[in-house]
Amino acid sequence: MFDVIGRNFVFLMGGLLTTFELAILALAGGIGLGMLVGLARLSKNPWIYYPITAYVNLLRNIPLILVIFWFYFVMPIITGDAMAPFPAAVIAFVIFEATYFGEIFRAGYQTISKDLTAAAFSTGMTYSQTARYILIPIAFKRMAPSLITQSIVTFQDTSLAFVIGLTELVRRSSIVDNMEVRSIELYGFAAFVYFIVCYTGSQISLYYENKAREVNLI
Amino acid sequence: MIEINKINKWYGDFHVLQDVDEVIEHGQTVVICGPSGSGKSTLLRCINGLEPFQKGEILVDKTSVKDPKTDLYKLREKIGMVFQRFELYPHMTAMENITLAPRKVRKWSKERAQDKAMELLKRVGMVDKADAYPANLSGGQQQRIAIARSLAMEPAYMMFDEPTSALDPEMIKEVLDVMVELAKAGMTMLCVTHEMGFAKEVADEIIFMDKGKIVERGTYDDFFNNPQTDRAKLFLSQILD
Repeated sequence: MFDVIGRNFVFLMGGLLTTFELAILALAGGIGLGMLVGLARLSKNPWIYYPITAYVNLLRNIPLILVIFWFYFVMPIITGDAMAPFPAAVIAFVIFEATYFGEIFRAGYQTISKDLTAAAFSTGMTYSQTARYILIPIAFKRMAPSLITQSIVTFQDTSLAFVIGLTELVRRSSIVDNMEVRSIELYGFAAFVYFIVCYTGSQISLYYENKAREVNLI
Repeated sequence: MIEINKINKWYGDFHVLQDVDEVIEHGQTVVICGPSGSGKSTLLRCINGLEPFQKGEILVDKTSVKDPKTDLYKLREKIGMVFQRFELYPHMTAMENITLAPRKVRKWSKERAQDKAMELLKRVGMVDKADAYPANLSGGQQQRIAIARSLAMEPAYMMFDEPTSALDPEMIKEVLDVMVELAKAGMTMLCVTHEMGFAKEVADEIIFMDKGKIVERGTYDDFFNNPQTDRAKLFLSQILD
């Protein structure tokens, strides 16, 4: 019954590779940008606070699939050049996920007392040094479970990139399905692969949560 | 020398510092006391520019804290500060807490910063805790590490903001001993504290603040034996209970 998987295994795993590539770039960009978005959301400078807050509120209230669509179809109008699905998906994911990661980081920064920041300033450290060596690492550790959960969600969300023709795992399953009409096996297999990856991720999350508790970081 | 010249600060309508004047000469230890909410901590934070003030002037070695052209980060390098709740970086060991600013701000090599840190850990009696995380240290130990962290930048001035008021009684002495040693070694110190034993031993001047004003100033004996205002008399009777 699952011979269809065996015959198309290499093709399907190629899709999984694309899924991983997209997820890794989306996470690296989303988390990196999210650290800064979180800082901006706590900024006292209105020129930083209001535009970033508007960006976060806008993106968090639009379904991801529309952000992907919008980006893919609007960017060519702005730049005059059609964009390949993969870079379009990466950019759409980064700007979308950065808002979610940004809110997680903001919550993390808010657990840090103002006097801790004052202590860093009192040793002559600049704001960017304080952010880099104190605020971001502490927020990262304290928010590790939430960050991993959001990363798992991001990994699952990458399947939405199939709507702009990116041949990731789900897209490739549907391509095979169109030829062989074996929907249950193919989508069942795709779901199984997602489950394995995400379940492993959630177990890692649990491990770090317990570890953080041991050193009183949470 | 720190010159505080008629500074005024408001939080909205609340006049938190009113015409505060003070000169701290090199090598002096000044103790600031007074009831909570009298503006003591705010005064310290104005001196190193952590808090802005609206009127008046503060000069640290003739450099204006208020002048927008002043590099406050540079200025803070020479004013160490110790906080009531220690404020050690929780994700770093004692050693890393102490070496961070010398390495990143002064650009010292790791070896040089660690040598300096070991020297300071010796001075505060914490050599064996170099690799401990703050969560595994007692309050008194954390505060001694915090003092070492400030001293690592080789500041010309040290400010203490109620350094013992979050400590259990049996730990107060270990922190005060470090502070006394520092004062006797010639450090210029500004201490917000109600530890009158400390004030008696090392203070060159005591300032008593109430409602944002300095209402009394003088030597320990003047203040302790002959307080001029009713507010100071009441305060002394309360803390000496």
